[in-house]
Amino acid sequence: MHPTDQARIDRNWRAITIEIDAPRPGRFEALLRRIGLPAHLSRLVVATPALRRSWFVATGLVMVLGLTVDAQAGRAGLLPLLLLAPLLPVMGVSLAYGLEADPAHEASLATPMSGLRLVLTRAATVVAFSAVVLGVVSLIGSSRAAAPMMAFSWLLPALGTTAATLALMTVFAPRRAAVLVGVAWVVVVLMARGASGDPLAAFGLVGQMGMSLVAVVGVALAFVRREHFDLLGIRS
Amino acid sequence: MTYFARSATMPAQVLAFGLTKRLGASEVLRGVDISAQRGVITLLGPNGAGKTTLLRCLATISAVDSGSLLIDGLDPAHETDRVEIRRRLGYLPQRPGIAASARVFDVVDYVAVLKEIGDERVRRHLAYDVLDRVGLADRAHDRVADLSGGMVQRLGLAQALIGHPSLLLLDEPSAGLDPDERFRLREIVAERRHSTTVFQSTHLIDEAALSDQILVLDGGRLRFVGTPQALAESARGRAWTQPGPPASGRAHWKQADGRYRCLGDPPPHAQLTEPTVEDGYLLLRAASTGSG
Repeated sequence: MHPTDQARIDRNWRAITIEIDAPRPGRFEALLRRIGLPAHLSRLVVATPALRRSWFVATGLVMVLGLTVDAQAGRAGLLPLLLLAPLLPVMGVSLAYGLEADPAHEASLATPMSGLRLVLTRAATVVAFSAVVLGVVSLIGSSRAAAPMMAFSWLLPALGTTAATLALMTVFAPRRAAVLVGVAWVVVVLMARGASGDPLAAFGLVGQMGMSLVAVVGVALAFVRREHFDLLGIRS
Repeated sequence: MTYFARSATMPAQVLAFGLTKRLGASEVLRGVDISAQRGVITLLGPNGAGKTTLLRCLATISAVDSGSLLIDGLDPAHETDRVEIRRRLGYLPQRPGIAASARVFDVVDYVAVLKEIGDERVRRHLAYDVLDRVGLADRAHDRVADLSGGMVQRLGLAQALIGHPSLLLLDEPSAGLDPDERFRLREIVAERRHSTTVFQSTHLIDEAALSDQILVLDGGRLRFVGTPQALAESARGRAWTQPGPPASGRAHWKQADGRYRCLGDPPPHAQLTEPTVEDGYLLLRAASTGSG
């Protein structure tokens, strides 16, 4: 046999064995692919074990909270669910980026993938998953509390808190940013309740508009300060 | 441009002038100048000398406070240049941070995604290619937890090698490895000597002796730039052996033959000996700390 043919056969044989031998994606990654996330994005999302573990537990807790809404308390019974739901994506985002969440953070910084793009990819997955899970839970909780209009009133606040966390992550470490946003959110909701007497005052029109503004400003700030996601520093 | 068209690389050219970097109150790099293209360049120096900081600056993940750094004519201070530099870069941090629960193949594939290799099939082939190079192709399905320390270090090297980088930055790649693993690692790095510019930091003088160029850093300053032979030569006439320990506080140690090897200004009629890279390094260190 001509030596060139042999080399070609070897190359082709190797290509075939790689295709056969390459490990298949894990269960969670396969699930993400099945629901339409491209293979390379799925890989980016599953590479943070801390994100999956902690965030799944938190989602489970909020689901339980939503499914056990006190029907006798009326709209007020929704407060724990609406208060905690916007904090889920905050937690997810803070666990999606940085040295604490991603063991390969330093190595990943030295790649052409923009840090902001990486964190946004993971954040988008977290928010989308939260929206689906919490949407169903909220519908059940709202119908039990006879307040169907409130079902999705956590959605804009969730976008606001998530965007605020992203913006603060350019200044503080991710977990500190999440704690600051979480505390600020709880204070705002409780202050609005104290001022108006309505337990869900923060979720009214003014509150929704305010959180929309926070979302826009937060994303803009994160974009302007995106270089901070590309460098090692206090944020890592 | 296709991935493979882009991956045909030349060794990167690294030019740095007057690099300074502060971390908190301390200045960790003080006016460092570098000019390098192709070959293996070893950073030597004690702990805290600034080796890791310098490698992080070259890896563009840490911004310098002043001075100029150009890699292939690109300035990492500018976002578009920084991204382009990172396309040409392979970086192994001191702590590669590889999750123990991850599979070997996935660890490399993840970095391939970060290096913008979107096509899954191309990634698979590149991942197997680098795993093959570091001798881990047959462990592709295994969990990282099942690998030895040396294998994990080789896996980190595989992450750095994926995508045919023209600039390879290795922060203490052989730390904690047994001699066999060190030899294997050395072979992998030496293979790339003509196609890549490799910067590696180490505490192992025998490893530095095999590189093309040595940079000795101490207190954030470059104390020596040159070949291993030049570093050894800098100790010529200042290394000798004698039967007993020297009277003064000169650096010395007892050799296997029972004689004492001494460094510094020799006494009259001292039996001078052929200097080594280690002698040169220790004399440099003694000069910078004011002893010996």
